[in-house]
Amino acid sequence: MKKAPAIIIFFIITYTIIGFAQVPSGLDVLMKIDKNLVLDKAISYTTIIIHGRTGTRSIKSKNWIEGKDKAFVEYTDPPREKGKKMLRLGNQVWNYYPEPTDRIITISGHLLRQSVMGSDLSYEDITENRKLTDMYDAKVTGSEMINNRNCYVVELSSKLDDIAYHSRKLWVDKERWLPLKEIRYAKSGRPIKQSELLEVFSLENRWYPKRILYHDLMQNGNGTEYIVESVELHAAIAESQFTKAALKK
Amino acid sequence: MLVLKLAFRNITHAGLRTWLNVIVLSFAFVLIVLTEGLYDGMSEQVKDAEIDSSVGGGQFWQKDYDPNDPFSFETAHSEIPVDLKKEIERDNASAVLIASASIFPRNLIQSVTLKGIDPDQKIVNLPVTVLKEEQDTNAIPGLIGFRMAKSTGLQAGDYVSARWRNIKGTFDAGDIKIVKVININIPSVDKGQIWIPLESLRTMMQAPGQATVITFKKNLSRIPSGSREWIFKDHNYLLKDLNENISRKRLYSNFMFSLLLGIALLAVFDTQVLSIFRRRKEIGTLMALGMTKWSVIILFTLEGCLLGILAFITGFMYGYPILAYLAKEGIVLPRMIEQSQFAILLVLYPKYGLKLYIVTALILFISVIIVSFLPAHRIAKLKPTDALKGKLS
Amino acid sequence: MIKFLIKGLLRDHHRSLFPILIVSFGVLLTTVLYSFINGELNDLIDSNARFDTGHLKIMTRAYNTMASQMPNDLALTEVEKLILSLNIRYPDYDWTARIKFVGLLDVPDENGETKAQNPIFGLAVNLFGKNSKEGERLNLAKSIVRGHVPEKPREILISEEFAKRMNTVIGHPITLLSTSSGGAIAVQNFIVCGTVKFGAAVMDRGAMIADLSDLQYTLEMPNGASEILGFNKKNYYDPDETKIIKTNFNSLFSNAGNQYSPLMLTLEDQNELGEYLQYITVLTLVIIGIFLAAMSVVLLNTGLMSGIRRYGEIGVRLALGQSKDQIYKSLLYESALIGFIGSVTGTALGLAVSLYLQEFGIDITETLRNTSIMMSNIIKARISIASFYIGFIPGLLATLIGTALSGIQIFKRQTASLFKEFET
Repeated sequence: MKKAPAIIIFFIITYTIIGFAQVPSGLDVLMKIDKNLVLDKAISYTTIIIHGRTGTRSIKSKNWIEGKDKAFVEYTDPPREKGKKMLRLGNQVWNYYPEPTDRIITISGHLLRQSVMGSDLSYEDITENRKLTDMYDAKVTGSEMINNRNCYVVELSSKLDDIAYHSRKLWVDKERWLPLKEIRYAKSGRPIKQSELLEVFSLENRWYPKRILYHDLMQNGNGTEYIVESVELHAAIAESQFTKAALKK
Repeated sequence: MLVLKLAFRNITHAGLRTWLNVIVLSFAFVLIVLTEGLYDGMSEQVKDAEIDSSVGGGQFWQKDYDPNDPFSFETAHSEIPVDLKKEIERDNASAVLIASASIFPRNLIQSVTLKGIDPDQKIVNLPVTVLKEEQDTNAIPGLIGFRMAKSTGLQAGDYVSARWRNIKGTFDAGDIKIVKVININIPSVDKGQIWIPLESLRTMMQAPGQATVITFKKNLSRIPSGSREWIFKDHNYLLKDLNENISRKRLYSNFMFSLLLGIALLAVFDTQVLSIFRRRKEIGTLMALGMTKWSVIILFTLEGCLLGILAFITGFMYGYPILAYLAKEGIVLPRMIEQSQFAILLVLYPKYGLKLYIVTALILFISVIIVSFLPAHRIAKLKPTDALKGKLS
Repeated sequence: MIKFLIKGLLRDHHRSLFPILIVSFGVLLTTVLYSFINGELNDLIDSNARFDTGHLKIMTRAYNTMASQMPNDLALTEVEKLILSLNIRYPDYDWTARIKFVGLLDVPDENGETKAQNPIFGLAVNLFGKNSKEGERLNLAKSIVRGHVPEKPREILISEEFAKRMNTVIGHPITLLSTSSGGAIAVQNFIVCGTVKFGAAVMDRGAMIADLSDLQYTLEMPNGASEILGFNKKNYYDPDETKIIKTNFNSLFSNAGNQYSPLMLTLEDQNELGEYLQYITVLTLVIIGIFLAAMSVVLLNTGLMSGIRRYGEIGVRLALGQSKDQIYKSLLYESALIGFIGSVTGTALGLAVSLYLQEFGIDITETLRNTSIMMSNIIKARISIASFYIGFIPGLLATLIGTALSGIQIFKRQTASLFKEFET
């Protein structure tokens, strides 16, 4: 039984680590989320389902992604949207509208506040590329069950004054490190927007969102669903893909 | 001199005939003054209302401000310069901060313009003091016009959620309580906007001490000069649309004027023709007694003029009290439209300037002379012998 | 008797011609004045109707509650079918669809990148339809400052002031950024083919007119429209008729439970025009009343005058043994005849003048400003049913009453003293 103490020690150590890890810091949680969500180089196929006032529309697109800052979207369906493209480099966005319009429109100023393809997301929502940890102080404040999954409750409060949402609250899956629910608040503390992660799937060695539902809480719409159909990791993407020239191709 | 005396005697002795003419003429005179005054008064009333409740004695606009472009509100706000601040402290001016927001009446998004105004201001005539009387400190008190109430379905006492972004771009949201809906006939202070206390909006926007528009008291003799940041807009600029509309209306009133004049002159002409016909024997006698044709023509024309003068005197005698009364008390429009929204214009106040009296009097007088002369000059073709026999060709 | 009177009137010009002239002239003035005021009122209704309200307007119930926001996601759908059934049900009206929208006009530079951007209000109407009267209705051809009216798809008109500010050249492409019915950014290239003057400051600062089908495509509203407007084919607003059509349509098509069912409104239901019309109508009545009073006094005067003038003649007739009643009656008949002839002539002439003013109007371009879409620069009269009697009735009555009053003197005269009068 010489080994016994070693095993005990191993257990004790492991247990202690796990025990400490039970309340990670807010920063840890955010980093773990990033690790799951940020794709190095990937091509994904997604569908946006928009539940508008008068009906439901769905838009399919092919997306080229590189890290947090580069994205190129080409809409493929319905026929009306086919050929429209969007390029995002950091916080800049350009939209391309194919023939006969054949125009590249810089999305800046108040256009950033327009919704993306009529969804509950604005261009501003998708272009915010500052790190959450740079913008917010994060604090784990407790645990709650969301969709039968055990979650940390992480509260973010802004440390800068030029941030769209003054505070946010995340419910992060303790095992899979994905936010299953997020609410964004106004300065007055009133909830404004909400997203719910309804399905996830495993992608190589990580968990990735499959279906997200966005809601504008001040309107009683039915929200927007964002569905990831498939993801090709480590895709070969030419650097020229993320240029304005690629928009007109 | 003799002609004048004769004319005067003829006029005063003609009795009923003279008085009928005098009545018609004076009636026309009074009516012209009244209708013109009514038009002037109406235009003035509309203009005054616009000045009273909106533009004051002129406004300073922050350089980016464009009332027709809500996007401009994002940047159209600045600190108030010292000299303008002094005027505000002296109660000579009042600041308004303007911002865009979304409200959610009936759960539907609707964009609005928030206008922050000092509830204690005395520059524009809007009942904004009610904004500081609101007890509910959890909500922002808001005042709206009836058009806004209609397009949003909001009524006094209603709460509505609002979402806005402060000047840094951070979302904020809160509730606005509509404390009052006002009946105001100035769309520019009503459509698509909510008036809230200035300091509330400044806090909401995180823009302390800032403003978009500074309205000056009317009839202020000295207005500080503008700067690159703050540009002064005078009445010519602010009331341009209104003035154009009024000048269009003026054309209509001129048309009315000429028609009324036409009617009055018709009466004089009518009288002259008939009296010349009736008095042909007299004309013959006068000529036989040695009066020249022209003297006779002058006699008749003079009689016409005297009619005019008498008409003015009479018109003034009965017209002045009526006109003065109407100008003071206003013309109250019938009950049928009392329910309507035109609260201000329900009572019309005619307005008559001295110029109106004099111009009307002169035009009428000259026309009377011409109209009296026209039939009288036929006398020139008359042979005294024929006239004596009572013949008039 | 009448024959005798007519003969008398014909033979004694002074008895007939002059009073008739006076009556005609007065009636003419009254008729013209009324038609003119009516025209002014009509102008107001007309510019509102043409540009915004129609004589009747159909929107969805939901769109109506938020109409000021132009929520095109709540717009009408299957518009063609609806117009088809409107045409069958209410053939006296011309039904036409329009889209109202707001957006940004983006002027590209040589590289196709944004040079300038400005907010605009837009109106899309049926410009190229075979039977469409929209171009004419909006007075497009006459309001052109530069360039020409759209002749093919994708051509638009913008306000002159806006074109100057944006520094656009006619014939160059310009991009509209708006919001599609789905809420996305909608983008479409257009060619500016001309500039216009709208005549309302808000519009002149930034507005465009495009073809309906172009905007249906751009804003993703296939077969959709913000509103359907109905215009009386006689080009005249009939408040009673529109009310009947509105009630009828709404009972057939509209459903309070369905926010997307169509709802019909009359012109008066919109823009507080109902109240404004009432207000103007009262004012018109006051003005016409004042005018009629003045006119009546003049005509009364004429009646009295002729009574005085014929003092001698009546004396002779009395001396010859005619009874006072008979003379009074014959005078009344005579004046009725004069009043009638004068009023008929006056009304006819007044209508002729009004008709001229209705068709051609008074051009005030010189004195005021250039022709524009919102405000016609031609002041026009408008003949209505009332134009036919507004002068006629007072013309006839005032002449009669004038004679009746002056005729009373007959009864005061003593037959015995008649000859004494003749001697003097």
